[in-house]
Amino acid sequence: MKKKVNSNRVILSLVFLVLGFMVAFSFRVTQDENDHSKGLTNRQWEQQLGLRNELIEQEEKNRELQKELNAKQEKVREIEASLSKEAQVFFNMAEDAEKYRMFLGKVKVSGKGVKVTLADGEYNPEEENINNYLVHEHHVFKVINELYISGASAISVNGQRIAHNSYILCTGPVITVDGYQHPAPFEITAIGDPDVLSSALNITGGVKDQLVNDQIIFSLEKMNDIKMDPILGN
Amino acid sequence: MWLPIMGLIIGAIIGLLTDIRIPAEYSNYLSIAILAALDTLFGGIRAQLQNIYDEKVFVSGFFFNIVLAASLAFLGVHLGVDLYLAAVFAFGVRLFQNIAVIRRILLTKWSTSSEK
Repeated sequence: MKKKVNSNRVILSLVFLVLGFMVAFSFRVTQDENDHSKGLTNRQWEQQLGLRNELIEQEEKNRELQKELNAKQEKVREIEASLSKEAQVFFNMAEDAEKYRMFLGKVKVSGKGVKVTLADGEYNPEEENINNYLVHEHHVFKVINELYISGASAISVNGQRIAHNSYILCTGPVITVDGYQHPAPFEITAIGDPDVLSSALNITGGVKDQLVNDQIIFSLEKMNDIKMDPILGN
Repeated sequence: MWLPIMGLIIGAIIGLLTDIRIPAEYSNYLSIAILAALDTLFGGIRAQLQNIYDEKVFVSGFFFNIVLAASLAFLGVHLGVDLYLAAVFAFGVRLFQNIAVIRRILLTKWSTSSEK
């Protein structure tokens, strides 16, 4: 009989266990539903907090990365700008090199300019000294210097380019330019602004007047298209 | 007598400590099941007081009613009929009836014992 009572008690306690569980569980579930924010269990709250912190961390990281990206892009743009500047510099250098080559006579040049022809004066029996009406190398010098001074960028004598180290010698009736002899008349062609060059030569008391005083036949011609070959054997 | 109370307390503690989250739509079934359990419990108390208590009937009724009430509510949800209302109504009426009967029996017992 006692055993039966005991088994009764056990079954009854099982029933109560289930009932207590259900009531408590239902109570908790209902509480959760009633207020979601406060009804969270500690663990869920902690979990949520952790997730939020993680989110904040991620966002901060994102912002940092974004900043880094912006900085990098700025850098890239700077590099690109400097590259384009460099390209500009190289372009300028190439242009300069070309220009210097032209000045040095390494390449063919062409352009507007003037042509000065110096010819010996007419034979004059009254003049004792023939030198008084011949073209001398210093006359050529004068003309060349004047042309250079007034901005000529390339000069040639009888078709031969004058370089920075050219020499002109008087060798009797002819003049020698860099070892090549040229007889009169001398055609001095210069590339540059024709107006400037011609007016520089035509100044009163200038080169032209001096040459004319020395009985030299001086003719000046403006030319639209002068072509000069590069200096040979250099 | 302490064993069933212990069972109740342990059950309540387990229920409070379990961290299972059930979807909101299933809480209906749970409340119906609780209602059925309470109804059976009070029915058992009444039967005990009327001396017609049968343990087999009580235990089988307890669990069967819970399952039946929950499945009825489930069926109702899926059929689009609010069957759980019927369960709530039936169990609620029986619950009050049982409690009333228990109250009367207790009152009679108390008055007879006080008359003695």
